[in-house]
Amino acid sequence: MSNRKKYWTNKIIRTIITAIGVTLIAFLILHLTPGDPARIMLGSYASEENLEAVREKYNLNEPLYIQYWAWISSLAKGDLGTSIRYNRSVNTLIKDRIGPTLVLTLTGLIISVVLGVVMGILAALKRNSWLDYLTTVQAIFWISIPSFWLGILFLYIFGLQLRWVPIAGMVSYTSVILPALSLGLRQEAWFARPMRAEMLEVLNQEYIRAAKAKGLKYYIVVTKHALRNALIPIITMLALRLPWIIGGSVVIEVVFSWGGIGSLLVNSVKARDYPVVQAILLLISIAVVLANLFADIIYTWVDPRIRTEG
Amino acid sequence: MRLSEVNVEEIKMELANLKNKKSSQLSLVWKRFKSNRLALLGFVFVMIIIFIAIFAPFLTPYKPYATDPSNRLMGPSRTHLLGTDSLGRDVLTRLFYGSRIALQIGVLIILFEGFIGIMMGVLSGFFGGVIDSIIMRLVDILRSFPVIILAMAIAGIMGQGIYNVVIALGIVGWTTYARMVRSKILSIKEADYIEAGYSIGESTYSIITRYIVPNAIPTAIVMISIMMPTALIASATLSFLGLGVQPPTPSWGSMVAAGRNYLLQAPWISTSAGFFIMFTVLGFNFIGDGLRDALDPTTKH
Repeated sequence: MSNRKKYWTNKIIRTIITAIGVTLIAFLILHLTPGDPARIMLGSYASEENLEAVREKYNLNEPLYIQYWAWISSLAKGDLGTSIRYNRSVNTLIKDRIGPTLVLTLTGLIISVVLGVVMGILAALKRNSWLDYLTTVQAIFWISIPSFWLGILFLYIFGLQLRWVPIAGMVSYTSVILPALSLGLRQEAWFARPMRAEMLEVLNQEYIRAAKAKGLKYYIVVTKHALRNALIPIITMLALRLPWIIGGSVVIEVVFSWGGIGSLLVNSVKARDYPVVQAILLLISIAVVLANLFADIIYTWVDPRIRTEG
Repeated sequence: MRLSEVNVEEIKMELANLKNKKSSQLSLVWKRFKSNRLALLGFVFVMIIIFIAIFAPFLTPYKPYATDPSNRLMGPSRTHLLGTDSLGRDVLTRLFYGSRIALQIGVLIILFEGFIGIMMGVLSGFFGGVIDSIIMRLVDILRSFPVIILAMAIAGIMGQGIYNVVIALGIVGWTTYARMVRSKILSIKEADYIEAGYSIGESTYSIITRYIVPNAIPTAIVMISIMMPTALIASATLSFLGLGVQPPTPSWGSMVAAGRNYLLQAPWISTSAGFFIMFTVLGFNFIGDGLRDALDPTTKH
């Protein structure tokens, strides 16, 4: 087998193992405490009939591996289960709420990547200037602010005091600005600093000096040669930060009463509606696993220098 | 025969030199750390919070749980510097006592996840093979979940409280240590002085304790300074969501949440509680940044 083939077979086997592991964790989480899952879900005041009905419905009387198999088989058919609290299919609950979450997460992601990349590039080009220093300090500053508090500050200043934007929910296009900023600013730091470091390294390479020596204009050297190569590691960074951005959006949704998957998850955890919690955990982690695989594929595709060994 | 004895002596000398170099390296690191103004500032921030945590009862005339219904939601004044909350409790007093909760949780998380993570990293890096594969797949699996989401689910099932917050966050958190320790050990294993140690007949145990552990210590220090802010913010987030430390225990996260309902009448509750979180986390982040630069000057400058 060629190295390349070996590399990708390895990668795909690992991805499959991870995906199976993820389903196991999402499944086992309900059995983390020694108590009766039906009682955990229904609370201590539930009647015996109700408990029995839930045990019957979710196969809780069966041994664990049968329960797991039943869960996996219905997942394979595209059935995520039934919510206890809403008594509705988890599929519809998620379908109703995925839109707002995607809008929030993607806007936040765009803000963080664009701001981070721009600041990183400028800091590298103007090395050791006040701008470089500011980039470092603001990065530490943003990662030190809890996003839920930043959201509340934004709500207070721009919503309650200045009344520039609506304070809660999704009522107009401007609604997304504050939550996306609260989400994106914290993540921006994770792109600014690697971008700066990468850009500095690329600018030091032989071919950049050659391009300059050839008499190419500085901005062409930067945009055509340096930037292209410096941006490549940002792809990996994107995949690495994805879980954090999704995690952050859950909290932000609660702060801004954003009716997405995040609010559904928090409410379901509090209401002990575990079929919903398990389904959301599973979907998010599978998304992360796939994102990592795609990042690897794109990475080797745009940068043929990557050795596909091991 | 004579020649090999000379070689052994030489290697021993080299190793002794390496040790001396280590101590001078440490003082160099300290010098670089001291000259970093942000790092010193961070040090001062953290010291202030530790001071407040230790001397909280002496810094305020109020008790953190003492309610005063006639003084609800009072604005900042001379008697209540940061006002009172919806039960008439002094906000500043609760923030002072909150530093105890925050630091306690932070330290417990670091100890819990650090212990598991370092053990797993050492096992993985030193022994390799099947052990390494199993541990690293487990790391991959756990890291596919956003920390806060898995922690929420775990805290939701196990119930609230300080120790459950520590367990919920530590179950994912150890993977970061395991990865860093593993890669550090892999690089140390390749180093010449390890081979030199084996060549003069030192045992595996003494190689681990005399060369590998001391060389991994800087990495461990940087790790702790990186993980502390994450632990503080994540635990505050759980408390904010109502899945961590429960009221009336004065945790900063739950105080931000409580103040959110009175944002218009009493904005000082949420804002000041969040400020304390930011102040502490900023302190640790400045220190961490300074340490990273001091220990590895090649990344910057």
